[in-house]
Amino acid sequence: MTNNGIVIRTSGLNKRFDTVHAVRDLDLEVRSGSRFGFLGPNGAGKTTTVRILSGLMKQTSGDATVCGYDVSTQRDSIKAVTGLLPESPGLYSKLSAVEFLEFIGALNGRNGDALNRRIDIMLDMLGLEGRQDDLLESYSSGMKQKVLVASTLLSEPKLVFLDEPTSRLDPAASALVKDIILVLAQETETSFFICSHQTSFVEDVCDVVGILNDGALVTLGSPQEIIENTGTKDLEAAYLKIVGGHVDRETLLAWR
Amino acid sequence: MVRTWLAIATAEFQVLTSSMRRNRKLYAGILYAIALVWAVVLTPMIYNAVLGAIFPMHVLRPMLLVIFPGLMRTVGLFLWLILLLFPLSMALQEIKIGQWEIFLSNNVRTRDIMTGTFLGKMGLYSLIIIALAPLLISPFMLAFEVSIVGQLLVYGVVTLLAMGTIWLSNFVTALVQARLGESSRGNDLAKAVAMVVAIVVIIPMYGLMFFLPTLSEMMGMNAFLILPSTWFSDLISWIAITFNGIGLTGSQIMGFSTVLQLDILVTSVLVIGFVLGTVGLALGAADRVFTIEAGVRTEVVTTVGRENVILRGIRKISTGPFGSLMVTNTKDFVRKAQNLSKIGYGVILAIIMPIVMMAMDIEYLQFSEMFMMLIVMMSLIGAMPFAGTGFLESKDQLWIIQSAPSGASRFVKSRIASQAMISIALALIPSVILYFMMNLTIFEFATLLGLGYVAVVGGMLTATGVTARNPNYEDTKSPAHQANVMTSVMIAEFSIMGVMFADIFLTIGTGIDFFGMIADFFGPGNMMVGISVMGLVVQWIIAGVLVWSGIRYLSRPDP
Repeated sequence: MTNNGIVIRTSGLNKRFDTVHAVRDLDLEVRSGSRFGFLGPNGAGKTTTVRILSGLMKQTSGDATVCGYDVSTQRDSIKAVTGLLPESPGLYSKLSAVEFLEFIGALNGRNGDALNRRIDIMLDMLGLEGRQDDLLESYSSGMKQKVLVASTLLSEPKLVFLDEPTSRLDPAASALVKDIILVLAQETETSFFICSHQTSFVEDVCDVVGILNDGALVTLGSPQEIIENTGTKDLEAAYLKIVGGHVDRETLLAWR
Repeated sequence: MVRTWLAIATAEFQVLTSSMRRNRKLYAGILYAIALVWAVVLTPMIYNAVLGAIFPMHVLRPMLLVIFPGLMRTVGLFLWLILLLFPLSMALQEIKIGQWEIFLSNNVRTRDIMTGTFLGKMGLYSLIIIALAPLLISPFMLAFEVSIVGQLLVYGVVTLLAMGTIWLSNFVTALVQARLGESSRGNDLAKAVAMVVAIVVIIPMYGLMFFLPTLSEMMGMNAFLILPSTWFSDLISWIAITFNGIGLTGSQIMGFSTVLQLDILVTSVLVIGFVLGTVGLALGAADRVFTIEAGVRTEVVTTVGRENVILRGIRKISTGPFGSLMVTNTKDFVRKAQNLSKIGYGVILAIIMPIVMMAMDIEYLQFSEMFMMLIVMMSLIGAMPFAGTGFLESKDQLWIIQSAPSGASRFVKSRIASQAMISIALALIPSVILYFMMNLTIFEFATLLGLGYVAVVGGMLTATGVTARNPNYEDTKSPAHQANVMTSVMIAEFSIMGVMFADIFLTIGTGIDFFGMIADFFGPGNMMVGISVMGLVVQWIIAGVLVWSGIRYLSRPDP
């Protein structure tokens, strides 16, 4: 369901909330099978973009297609081929991990033994074996994040939107998620659209990076290209140079 | 020296008045001014006018004098319960242990936390007292023609009652919050406790509504003496008697002392002792109260077991994804303590009403006359547990549901199916209890159960539709939640009762005997059943529209 190898195409995409211009004239193309990293400061418009592209929010103006489907008119078709890991965990506190994943599977029209097998394997892989029947209310935030990762991948989406996928994870779990993304992208042609603040994660995982600032896309390219173009040593330094935010020592102590 | 209690009280006040933050001081001043005018000018004026028009005071006074001590104890108990339990119920809607961490990490003394949170709450509750107290006390002040000094003393005692009780409530709230901890499980349990607390308040309220003159006799005057509210009430009685302006004789005053049993001195000592005791207890125990414990998230880990026969039955009947959704929805609903306590609350409400009516010995009230009221109560039971809460926990959860194709529609439909199943118990429990209590025939029981179930499901559909249109998630303190509960209950009840009113107006307006037509159709003696059936049809049509628009609302992308 890609369009000439393009899974996401936006043209002049805008989103306004009253006086706030959250996304400005976004023109973007993401190729099938790629791992697109979306960087930007807090409030830059990353989550808003993901919500528009996943069919959860209306754009104010502009066009976008996801996997060949129009975000304005074919939202259910988009939802059928994409997976979304939201920024904050919206889990059911009174369900166990297995029950929650069964719920997500059923929402996507799946159930039965095949689904149960898949759930067991995913929970094993994410290190939740032994806790899979405990109610989610007793899970730590990192464990909840793992359940959400599993729920996102459960129905084998063609395109996965990940909003801050590793923000609550410990280093081992982050590495695991990183590996899952790389393997799925290489072996199954799954595309990833990853919003993150963690530049090192994006540098390791993504082949294309877009930097959003104040709603507008200010930089696009591979991590290496961005680093070279900015004359910096890594993506974090490049990001700070593009977006700003570096504070000198004098200012850091000025409040005392 | 920074007064930390003042900083905490200010923060509490700012939270309380956040809706009028643009001009907080002006609006708060206006509110207090209105309340004072109400208490000092309007209430006495209205009472004088109303009582003068209905019962002149010389007719009413002997009756008020006779019932005064007992009634004052009942009123005192009512006020005391509201002051003790309402703040507790409100505070339990939202566990705020996180704030304690900030206080304690900033080396704030626990006594200052206690004092600050108490004073922060006083702003709101003193407004409630100023509005309520004159309503309850003015008739007696007028009857006894209590002097200005006496009235000031009475309001002083009321203030003492309010402050002492809210202080105690503040202490108990902190204890409960510390025990439950800040977690989804803790919040769920807290909301369940809040609902139980509400039931405790409701019962005396029903008592006040239906057996005001006899409640004192029922409880026994001696039994009242152990309640702190009695000491405050008796002190008010003594002050009113002592400062009376109607010339009570010494023997009449002695007559009161046989009823009140404890003299003014002992009563005063008990009142002051209670206030000092609670203040001392709370301050002394403050260090132990504000201890952040592990909380129920880490103390209790619930592991789910094998599915019960009902859930397995659903899977067998509905083998596809819809059955799986029904099963998970049912599990989610019945595992929440707050949902169960809401169900209990609704069932108790439905049972109390006939008990009260039968206790009143109203002979003409037969099952057929009460039927419509029972059906209305059943629709309330259906609406209550499903209105506002128990639907979506958070906006993030809605994002997850919406991210599936037709996710919101599948979710709401399966939710309704599982709630319809839970509704069987909701209709069955009160029907069985009423069967035994009211000695119903099998036919009457079957009619009550059958139409009762239709009413419960109608109420549930209404509540689900209303909540889907305006999801308030688990925020039970939000205006959206209050609006959802009120709208759901009102629509569920008045859609049924509206049919009766429409019949009345149509009969008057057109001259056609609609009640006669209903009686002809449903048979003589079944007119109320007939009106109920028509009411339920109207209720289901409204509920259907609400559910349809709720699904559309939840399915649409955010604008």
